[in-house]
Amino acid sequence: MSVIDILTRVDAICKKYDKYDIDKQNDSNVSGDDAFARLYGVVEADIEATLQKAEQASKEKNRASAVALNAEIRRTKAKLLEEVPKLQRLAFKKVKGLSSEEFVARNDLVQALPDRIQAIPDGSATAPKASGGWGASASRAEIRFDSDGRFDDEYFQQTEESNKFRQEFEMQKMKQDQGLDMIAEGLDTLKNMAHDMNEELDRQVPLVDEIDTKVDKAASDLKNTNVRLKKTVTQLRSSRNFCIDIILLCIILGIAAYLYK
Amino acid sequence: MASSDPEKLMSKADKLTKLTLTRWSADWRSAAGLYEQAANAFRLAKEYEKAKLAFEKASKAQEMLSSPWDAAKHMESAGAVAKELGNWNEVADFYRRASNLYIECGRSQPASDALAKGARALEETVPDEAVQLYTEACSILEEDGKEQMAFDLYRAAATIYIKLEKYPDAATILLRLGLAADNCKAVNSQCKAYLGAIIVYLYAQDFKQAEKCYNDCSQIDAFLRSDQNRFASKLLSAYTEGDIEEIKRLVQSSTVSNLDHMIIRLARKLPTGDLSALKAYSGKEQEEPLDEDDLT
Repeated sequence: MSVIDILTRVDAICKKYDKYDIDKQNDSNVSGDDAFARLYGVVEADIEATLQKAEQASKEKNRASAVALNAEIRRTKAKLLEEVPKLQRLAFKKVKGLSSEEFVARNDLVQALPDRIQAIPDGSATAPKASGGWGASASRAEIRFDSDGRFDDEYFQQTEESNKFRQEFEMQKMKQDQGLDMIAEGLDTLKNMAHDMNEELDRQVPLVDEIDTKVDKAASDLKNTNVRLKKTVTQLRSSRNFCIDIILLCIILGIAAYLYK
Repeated sequence: MASSDPEKLMSKADKLTKLTLTRWSADWRSAAGLYEQAANAFRLAKEYEKAKLAFEKASKAQEMLSSPWDAAKHMESAGAVAKELGNWNEVADFYRRASNLYIECGRSQPASDALAKGARALEETVPDEAVQLYTEACSILEEDGKEQMAFDLYRAAATIYIKLEKYPDAATILLRLGLAADNCKAVNSQCKAYLGAIIVYLYAQDFKQAEKCYNDCSQIDAFLRSDQNRFASKLLSAYTEGDIEEIKRLVQSSTVSNLDHMIIRLARKLPTGDLSALKAYSGKEQEEPLDEDDLT
């Protein structure tokens, strides 16, 4: 028997004896055909997870990760809030095997859900009703004022830290200014050189044009001369004259040799 | 061939050109060749006087042969030799004749080059003459529409004037440079020329002229939009306030370092003279109208 056969047989046996699996029965019993219960279970689980994340975020030292976690929490909350209307619809459906008390309880649970979801801390909790004058800004929940309106004498006092920070800031600014000055000087020189190069090239343009025409003329003259030269040479080199020249030369050499012998 | 005694070459050439009973027409062609050889030989032997003479005769021979180009070339060589000798007015003369011959050929660039060479030769000794030659060279180029080439000549002429401490003339030449640059749309050179003129006036302690110059130049669009304009206005305002530190600081800036180095030297020596006198002058100008009002 191959492995695949064993696997198939195991699957078949499990399916047959599923009804004897107690844990699975319990789970499915709880949410069986009941869509409401299933969805409710899912929402509950999500809320639990979000609460855990919120706890973690509040313990978090690193501001960046705290912010990231808070953002995640807010997203999950928004999603959950969307699920709530679905749950409400499901709650109104009558399911068999459900007593009327349970039905009412379900409705209550669904009503309580939005509040629970909102109550999950996500780092943007304001003291909404307490700060009266800024009620309008409660809608921009991300921006908050730590002091809640207490601007007493101490508030504007410069602490040591802020003094040092200001000094450092000034120094850095000065250094940057110096650096920028040097860059500006270099750029000035570059600009001047570029301008001068521009003018020089402008100066060269007509000269180069002149060279161009002169060279063209010279080239055409050369071509003419070449053609004429070729004609002359072919005329001279014509075989008949050549042979006559050679014969005459031989005769003369023969006569000279004869004379000197 | 006749690479032997240049003297002999000279006498032979002379004989060729002299008209006698046996010779009815002078043989300029061979004479020219002989003269040239003799002249080169003399130059190598460092007998400058004779070389000069030979070159002159060669040039005349070429003229007779109606080739002004070669004649001009020989004239230039004669001028160079005369420079070695130290006959300054002869130098100027030779170069001028060479330039005229070039113009006969219809080639203005070599003509002005010849004059420029003459001017450079005379810079140290007879600067006035040199400046003359430079200006003539510039006018030749301008007539021919080749102002671009004239920039360097103008700058050299201005340098000579500054050395001679003839500041108004220097400023005038710089303004002419600006004009030439305007004709060929060389904006950068133009602005630099104007700024140079203003600085020269300030160095000569002629504040009024400097201001007038600045006002004139501000009417020119290209200058108005340039860096040099801003620098000039800052400089002039520093002058009216008599703020020496400010002036010293301004002339260290890079705008000045882009100018001609003679002008940079002048600028670094600013402010000259009595700033308070300048202040008093500009103050007086404002008081006078008040006086007139008082009288009436």
